[in-house]
Formats: sequence, structure tokens, C-alpha cells
Amino acid sequence: MARRLTAVAQAVAEVAAWWTVLAGLWLVLIQTVDTLECCVGAGAALLAALGGRAARRAAEQR
Amino acid sequence: MNGWLAAACALLLAGFLPALLCVCTGPVRRRVLAQNLATVLAALVLLLLSQGYARPSYTDMALVLAVLGPVGTLVYERLLRDELRAARPSARVTRTMTVLGVAPVPLVVAPVCAAAAPGRTTLKLLAVGCLLVAGSALCTRALTAPPGGGAGDER
Amino acid sequence: MSAELPVAFALLLVAVAGTATVLTRDPVRQAAVLAGFGLALAVLFAVLQAPDVALSELAVGTALTPLMVLLSVRKVRRKARSERREEHE
Repeated sequence: MARRLTAVAQAVAEVAAWWTVLAGLWLVLIQTVDTLECCVGAGAALLAALGGRAARRAAEQR
Repeated sequence: MNGWLAAACALLLAGFLPALLCVCTGPVRRRVLAQNLATVLAALVLLLLSQGYARPSYTDMALVLAVLGPVGTLVYERLLRDELRAARPSARVTRTMTVLGVAPVPLVVAPVCAAAAPGRTTLKLLAVGCLLVAGSALCTRALTAPPGGGAGDER
Repeated sequence: MSAELPVAFALLLVAVAGTATVLTRDPVRQAAVLAGFGLALAVLFAVLQAPDVALSELAVGTALTPLMVLLSVRKVRRKARSERREEHE
């Protein structure tokens, strides 16, 4: 049980790290910063963060 | 015609044209290495052009090229792996190509950053520069990998 | 006149790259030259103030065209190397 909790915490931390980097990149690259852009960026960064974690795991399994 | 456009023209003639001529001649490895170098130089030319025409949105072209250029080069690395790994390039070639692919980036990005309005534009330019350096170094390493392994750990 | 200098240089590059693409015979090497030709075209479009065209040219020319050419070359080679019965199926 404790091991599974640690695994979940690690996964959440990794996705959060990806999300921080990607959302920062989005904020830098857009032209005007407003609420709608921030919301769309947060969603896109979340999707991309999940993709990034999946890609890293796939690369490590090889 | 201002100094930025003159610099872009100079980089086109002194950097991009020789790289293009190297792409047109020689064995496969030299062509692909030169193609990687030409990608980096073209992105730098686009950055200089955006500064020269005073259109900050033109940097998007350099950004797209900085993302897609390494992808294209790694396509060659993946599909021509047998030919590329058949022989190992000399250490001098590896070093020269790494330096040539990385050194011009800060030389161009730093003045453009200094000239651009401080703020998010600067961060964007720095992000483009970091992408260019990382992509160029990664591609050069992948293309000059020794036969039978190594440098494949990124994928 | 001096404002047209970048256009002239970019046109020169496109001419050089286009001629080299036509004169290259081997498809694998031609794919590399084609990528260089795409870069030269993108610079030309940027100089002619058409960044949208340059963007699409970059997207197609740097990654997509070489991928398609090299995949076809690989497939053709693999087919030629294996038995002829694949062709008849």
C-alpha cells in the first residue's frame, strides 16, 4: 500500500514538473496574456505533460 | 537596408551557402551533418530577418525551424542508421561539427536579445536559442555515434 | 536597390539548391538536398514578407518530405531484397 502511494506521488510529481515547464513555455510563446489563453494553455500543458511522461516511460522500457 | 539585414545577408552567403554546397556533395554522413548545420544557420538568418524588418512575430518561423529541424535530421539518422554506423568519423570532424553547429547561436541570439524590447520577447528568443543549441548538439552526437550502439539513449 | 539585396541573395540560393536537387541522382542523397532546397525557399519567402507561406514550407520541407522519401526508398529496397512473390500477392 505504502509502495503504491509512493508510486502515485512520484507520478503526480513528474506530471507536475512537465506541466510547469510546458505551461511556462506556453506563456512565453503566446502573443497576449489573458484569462482564456491561460486556461487553454493550462489544459494543453496538462495533456502534453501526460504525453511527456508516457513517452519517457516508453523510452525507458526499451 | 539596416545592419540586421546586412548581417542576415552575410550569414546567408558566408554560412548557409557553404553548408548548402556541402549538402550537395560528398558521402551521406557529410550531407546529413551539413543539412543539420544548414538548419541551424537558416533559423539564425530568420531571427536576424525578423529583427531587421522589426516584426517580432517573424520569430515564429525560427521557432518552428528550431523544433522541426532536429526532427528531420533524426529521421535521417533513424532510416540511414546502417550506412551511418558503417564507419566512424574522426574525432576532429565530430568536434568541428559540434562547435560549428553550436557556436553561431549565442553570437546571433545575444545581440538580437539585447536589441529587442525586454520582457517576454527576450524569453522567447532565449527559448529559441536553447532549442537550437540542444537540437544541434543532440543531432551531431547522434550522427557521429560509434558503430553498434551509443548515443541512442534519448529515444 | 539595396533593399532588394536580400531578395537577390535568397533567389541565388534557391537557384543553386534547385539545380543541385535536379542534378542529384541517388534518391537518398536527393532527399538531403531537397531539405536544403526547402530551407532556401523558406528564407526566400521570409525575405518576400510571406511568413505564413514560409511556415508551411518549413513544416512540409524539413520533416515531412524527407520522411516520405526515405520511407519509400526503404520500402523499395526491402521489397527488392526479398523474394519476388511479394510482388505477385
